Amino acid sequence: MAVFRRGYERYNGPLTGTAARLLVMPRFAWERILSHRFVVVLLMASMFWPLACIAFIYVSNHADTLLGATGVSSGFSKMLEINGKFFNVFMSVQVVFGMILAAVAGPGLIAPDLANNGLPLYFARPLSRWTYVLSRMIVLLGLLSLVTLIPGLLVFGMQVSMAGTTWLSNHWSIGGAMVFGFLLWMVIVSLVAITSSAYVKWRVVAGALVLAFFFVTAGAATIVNQVLRVQWGSLFNPGYAIGFVWSATLGLEPPEDGPGVYQYVLSLSVTIVILGAILMRKLRPVEVVS
Amino acid sequence: MTPVVSIDNLHVHLGRREILQGITCRLGASGVGKAIGLLGPNGAGKSTLIQTLLGFHKPSAGSAQILGMDCHKESAKVKAAIGYMPENDSFIADMTAVSFLRLMGEISGLPPAAALEKAHETLFHVGLGEARYRTVGTYSLGMKQMAKLAQAIIHGPQLVILDEPTNGLDPAARQRMLVLIKEMKEQHGMNVLLCSHLLRDVEEVCDEVVILKDGKIVHQADLEAERSTNRRFVQLEVTGDDRGFAAVLHEIGAEGVSESAGNWRIVLPKEIEIGALWRITSREHLRITKLAYRRDSLEEIFLKAVGHLRPAPLATTQEAPVHGGI
Repeated sequence: MAVFRRGYERYNGPLTGTAARLLVMPRFAWERILSHRFVVVLLMASMFWPLACIAFIYVSNHADTLLGATGVSSGFSKMLEINGKFFNVFMSVQVVFGMILAAVAGPGLIAPDLANNGLPLYFARPLSRWTYVLSRMIVLLGLLSLVTLIPGLLVFGMQVSMAGTTWLSNHWSIGGAMVFGFLLWMVIVSLVAITSSAYVKWRVVAGALVLAFFFVTAGAATIVNQVLRVQWGSLFNPGYAIGFVWSATLGLEPPEDGPGVYQYVLSLSVTIVILGAILMRKLRPVEVVS
Repeated sequence: MTPVVSIDNLHVHLGRREILQGITCRLGASGVGKAIGLLGPNGAGKSTLIQTLLGFHKPSAGSAQILGMDCHKESAKVKAAIGYMPENDSFIADMTAVSFLRLMGEISGLPPAAALEKAHETLFHVGLGEARYRTVGTYSLGMKQMAKLAQAIIHGPQLVILDEPTNGLDPAARQRMLVLIKEMKEQHGMNVLLCSHLLRDVEEVCDEVVILKDGKIVHQADLEAERSTNRRFVQLEVTGDDRGFAAVLHEIGAEGVSESAGNWRIVLPKEIEIGALWRITSREHLRITKLAYRRDSLEEIFLKAVGHLRPAPLATTQEAPVHGGI
């Protein structure tokens, strides 16, 4: 029967589980975000660097054949080695696309709900504030994975497939470090994007705030370092801290003076807690004026 | 039978202010399709009570239950069983009505296919069928009210909480909204908790009414019982010294409250003829300048409960009866 002839009836069928409900908002958000041409172009553009890296991996793994033909010295082949440094460069470039994507997609996540007073509708349903935040985080984590984690695993998988199990047994920690490093970066960037979305109504400003967060904290850290003639000010620079953790987990030589990896991990953890607290403070179904 | 809403000594603080001050009541019976009206002047605590029932505020003492489930401890279960239509504009502006309702349905636990089907069905039900592919932000105020109602009932809740549902509606749309609310309880067996400033709306739709003032319940009445008593409400204007008129009214078995000098609102029991009023005013040397029947019993109850009418001395014992009339 046509729906307009049927009339309203109360729904009495089966209900979905908690996990399925958790993915409802991300599904709707992904549908909306991916309908923007700029996002699609950005996603396509973000694939060029991994393709270049894959090409580099091909050259690296066939250096003997290629160099033998061209007659270049064997010392040059050392430069083509695939190691932690290679993946550090890969990750550092790839997160630039991620950062732009977060600045474009993040502000549209919470700001419209706040501007349209939509939160009471969500929180009057079986959805807690934590679940709401998690749902919004999943939106960004999913999108950012498309430009970071998934290409990263593809590049790593390509290297493994070309270099063989011997290389994998010697360098498996690089894969783990890359996954951990990308996840850490995604969590921080997602939290920054969602928090700016919760506090700033205008999307452009909220997007700029995402980028500004990293520039401002970097500037503040530099000022502290210069004024006090120390390196500990870098603890206030999440971008640098993430880079330091990446370097440490990828097996690269860290700077000798200043904080160590545990201090940077601690500072990032504190950043996550502070951002979470600021976010939860804003996300209330009703404003209470005391 | 489990009451729809059961509140026991509920205290709620917002900041340092105590908004709800020890509310206790049992309202409605689940599964029967009852409508409960929540009335009170501005700042009485109506919205805070609704928000506490929705789990938005944590009680500082006491408890509130909906359909036998604690609103705070079993918040998820409670929210699965209720639908909420907020007073203010609440929607996702750049979504079409169908997408908006589908999203709300799915968050409430409907599978995607069922949510889509119910979204269409509910939008046709509230009269937005032809406009269902328009973005909600482009809707008129009346259409937004209907969209808010639709999102509250898409998942077929057992209790629907409506906060000022007829706000900003023209007479025809208001009537349509009231018809929908009546259908919800009579045809679909949903319980309704209706918060409104419009006494006529509450009287037209509700079976029970609770009046709040300063965070306390000042009156709770069964409107069905009120209607069945067949009492008549008379508005009387007299000139002369009417200071002892309340006592005289009591002598003949009527009750009255003086609204201002010479203005009386009187409740006449069924067995008392209107002529009795003429006789006692004549005896008291009062001259009647106006006598009119009123049919708005709830207004009498409300104004007396919130203290906007000066209670006559002999009526003071009936200030806050439970399940009774004035």
